[in-house]
Amino acid sequence: MKRFKTTKGMIGIVLLTLIALIAIFGPMVIPPDAATAMDMRARRAPPSLTHLFGTDQLGRDLLFRVILGTRTSLEIAVSAVLMSVILGLPLGLISGYFGKWIDNVLMRFVDTLLAFPALLLALTISAVLGPNIQNTIIAIGVAFTPYLARIIRGEALRVAQMPYVEAARSSGTTDAMIMWRHVLPNILPAVIVQATISLAFAILAEAGLSFLGLGTQPPAASWGLMIQASRDQLDIAPWTAVVPGLAVALTVLGLNMFGDVLRDILDPRSK
Amino acid sequence: MTYVLNRLLSVILTLFLITLVTFAVTNILPGDVAMMIMGTQSNPEALAGLRQSLGLNDPILVQYAHWVGGLLSGDWGNSLIFKKPILELLSQKIVASAVLVVMSMGIALALAIPLGVWAAVHRDKWQDTVSSSSALLGVSLPDFFWGIVMILVFARWLGWFPSSGFVDPSLDFWGTLQHAFLPALALGLGLMAHLTRMTRSTMTGILSQEFIRVARAKGLTERTVIWRYALANAIGPVITIAGLQIGYLFGSIIVMESLFGYTGMGWLTYQALLNRDLPLIQDTVFVIAGVVMLTNLAVDLLYVVIDPRIRLG
Amino acid sequence: MKRRDFLRSSTALLGSGIFIGTSLPIAAWAEDAPVSGGTLIWGHSETTQNLDMHQTGTASSGRVLQNIHSSIVTVDKDLNVIPGLCESFEVAADGLSYTFKLRPNVKFHNGATMTSADVKYSFERCKDPATGAVNFEVFNNVAAIETPDDLTVIIKMNAINAPFLSRLSENGAGVIMPVDSGPTQGTNPMGAGPFKFVSYEVGTVVKMARHEEYWDGPAFLDAVEAREITEPTTRLTGLRTGELHMINDIPLDRVGELQADAAVQVKTWFPLNFDFINMNHTYEPFQNPKVRVAFDMIIDKEALMQGALWGQGATTPSPSFPTSAAYNKDLKQRPQDIEGAKAMLADAGYPEGSLNIVFKATTNYPYHIETAQILVEWFKAAGVNLTIEQLTWADWLSQCWVDKDYQMTMMNFFSLWESDFLYYSVWNSTGAYNYRAINDPIIDDLTAKARITVDDAARADIYKQVQQQIWAESHDIILWFRNGTIGAQPAVMGLDTVVHPNGSNLNFHKVWIKA
Repeated sequence: MKRFKTTKGMIGIVLLTLIALIAIFGPMVIPPDAATAMDMRARRAPPSLTHLFGTDQLGRDLLFRVILGTRTSLEIAVSAVLMSVILGLPLGLISGYFGKWIDNVLMRFVDTLLAFPALLLALTISAVLGPNIQNTIIAIGVAFTPYLARIIRGEALRVAQMPYVEAARSSGTTDAMIMWRHVLPNILPAVIVQATISLAFAILAEAGLSFLGLGTQPPAASWGLMIQASRDQLDIAPWTAVVPGLAVALTVLGLNMFGDVLRDILDPRSK
Repeated sequence: MTYVLNRLLSVILTLFLITLVTFAVTNILPGDVAMMIMGTQSNPEALAGLRQSLGLNDPILVQYAHWVGGLLSGDWGNSLIFKKPILELLSQKIVASAVLVVMSMGIALALAIPLGVWAAVHRDKWQDTVSSSSALLGVSLPDFFWGIVMILVFARWLGWFPSSGFVDPSLDFWGTLQHAFLPALALGLGLMAHLTRMTRSTMTGILSQEFIRVARAKGLTERTVIWRYALANAIGPVITIAGLQIGYLFGSIIVMESLFGYTGMGWLTYQALLNRDLPLIQDTVFVIAGVVMLTNLAVDLLYVVIDPRIRLG
Repeated sequence: MKRRDFLRSSTALLGSGIFIGTSLPIAAWAEDAPVSGGTLIWGHSETTQNLDMHQTGTASSGRVLQNIHSSIVTVDKDLNVIPGLCESFEVAADGLSYTFKLRPNVKFHNGATMTSADVKYSFERCKDPATGAVNFEVFNNVAAIETPDDLTVIIKMNAINAPFLSRLSENGAGVIMPVDSGPTQGTNPMGAGPFKFVSYEVGTVVKMARHEEYWDGPAFLDAVEAREITEPTTRLTGLRTGELHMINDIPLDRVGELQADAAVQVKTWFPLNFDFINMNHTYEPFQNPKVRVAFDMIIDKEALMQGALWGQGATTPSPSFPTSAAYNKDLKQRPQDIEGAKAMLADAGYPEGSLNIVFKATTNYPYHIETAQILVEWFKAAGVNLTIEQLTWADWLSQCWVDKDYQMTMMNFFSLWESDFLYYSVWNSTGAYNYRAINDPIIDDLTAKARITVDDAARADIYKQVQQQIWAESHDIILWFRNGTIGAQPAVMGLDTVVHPNGSNLNFHKVWIKA
């Protein structure tokens, strides 16, 4: 049983390492401009020796595009999740630790954000700030913040009632110190696990935003943009969807396997 | 009782905040409905005339007060692009979405519970991996992608279901179900992953408990033990998660309904957004937010019933 | 004949009718006599919004309403103005009054007989700014509308407005509605067209039924159901599964594949619209004509058309309707010359790598995004760095159209076949559609002169000079006419009558379904 879990974790780690390596080194290895070079005589060409993964509707090589897209997609996902952690952590921590009216006020704010269709926020952000990668990160980051804040709040609420926190309080330690020394380290595992899972959702969210023209701007490549472009040709050129789709699927799978194992290691309650 | 009262009060407070944010956000959106109506046939003069006749020139605060006043008094205004009372549009479209939401949740639960139970029973064996991987498939690709796959497979190649459209359930209920099935299936795939995971983890916990061992010792069949005893105890948290996902679902229907020409609340919201029909955006967002809030409230209250300790929190 | 050859030869033949290609041989349907009956299920590509003909600026609603309304005058296939709801019309020698003799016994859908009072009501409603009519400016020079008897309408002008009649041939201005029907037109459109409005379920379907007393004889179809299916793949699937009789707007990349499919008919025609690349004339580099000409030289229009439209179009240096007398046949597009463009840019003070331009394209037209991506490659080769920004339709309208906040963009117009409407509004410095802030005194003079030139040949000549000037200064880069497309089941007959001579409206009066 123990051994199997390690295997699962290993698969996850290997997958993620591989994807990270592609994201970091891929763009340096492939010939420059290879991902945007068009060949109008080879539009929607199926996989072959000249184009290992086939080509898209403009005759661009999908292998090069999916490699280039790896960096863009991960960049967006990681930054967006990081942003939601930076925004959500203080919100949830303060809310859960202090409780009472502070909790009430902050959580009403969070509930308001939660009740909003993320699409409305995304459209507004893109319309006001303009469509580019930074604003895509902001849109996803903002949309994910309330979920993260809710989870962190729950954890903070639990930890704040622990005897050692009570003890620290009665010994006159300041609230800021308690949060920093006692609460934060104890909720961190849950935050890390949640962030790992959120990464998978962020990759998908980027695809969803491409549906609206927000997100990565062509001719640059991202997985989301590639999936979005493939939707009208699924029946005649399925490889245009399978290539980026598989990239997303493997990443999501890797993240989830890794996340599960991480949860088992970091979170004693799940034992 | 105080808890319930508190929750109700906070729902009202949140709804008020929602009106403020909706109003603010919609007014930041560049462009207006007059531009959208006229498209590339507009000129400054004609735009000014149309804006005047649509009442777009009132001061912002007056518009806000007018809107909230209307919400309370039951006058929800008119859609500027469709030229119809918004309440009439909402009452038509909310039925379509309700059918879709219930159906996709039903499909998700029908797939997730057996899959989760199967994984828990065979915990850490190959069945577990198969179960969690197949559940993950649904969230590995965006839902619009699954929607297109459904259209191609079940409508085009197999011809089992209509490819698009919506039929009024009061005219042809069976037709409504047929039209809702494919979008519901695509949405259900997306919901499944989380539910399967939840079923698996609660079932695992329950299966290791004392009363299960007792039941087994009494000689009950494995089937009875798992489905009658264990699942009955594990279903609570799963339903809770399902309730919370309703909110997420109302976000997903926006894209899915547009894809299938299944015109419900999601489609209406999207049209309102695209066309900058501010009264319609405000009302649809308010209704969706309200539905999400109320489901969250229901879930919280359910929690109180299930787990009395929460009152302390 | 291969698709490309067909387009080549039709470009050469400009001037003789609208070009229609049908994948079925004509003989296949010509043998059968039309039969009445049946409901046509049409998969419509867009959502119908406002049903009020006067207030409708979008092609989507217009395409449906075309079947419900008739106009006082219309055009034949060569775009000559001919009587519609009137029997005859006459323009006074001084060009300051128009007399219409109405057809007797024209019945509206409510059973009422059309009289001159209805005409007066309709035109005055359109003119009234409070109506919010898109085409209100057509009536700007109208001083009075007189109705001496039930079947005579005299329109008095306070200034010559040469294009007045042809503007009336479009439903947006020339439509005749029953007196006092205005307030209900938005929910229950009523007119004198071949089909009556039955119902509209928002976003789902518009239902129409035959108007038995239509002045030009009743339609063959009992009813038309316009189902709104905006997603191209979904619409195409509906046609292939047989759920739909007909769809408009086949995705351009799928036309070839459908033409090869014996189970469906495909009809293409051009022009549905013309596309052009716009440069903002307030943006400093574009104030220099050399830069604009150089940009024109960077683009291979034929390759771009093959790339973005999958060959479903025909390149053109002139936006004039190809069959109109005003089309300047002597103009040729600049061939691609990247080295020449580089030299010209350097000469203008913009050496290689010094120009960074943002190209705003709207996702409303997916082929604009493809166009932009191809352009990026060519511009890169010419040392110009082009960045794409995708905008939703609402954002494009507000940023590019209204606020003129862009450097480079592209747009299309439905075939504005009426020359004054086209050149005055798009290229005159005071034109309503001059969103590039073009300010060329030569064009201003020419377009103003055409308005008061009554002789048709002389007018056409002026417009040819306008085209020459637009090309010479490269005010905009005019690319191509795009094809319109319809796909249908083999049983749908009379498809060739569906497209209005203006290339964008659809009319089902003469369509029938073979049993």
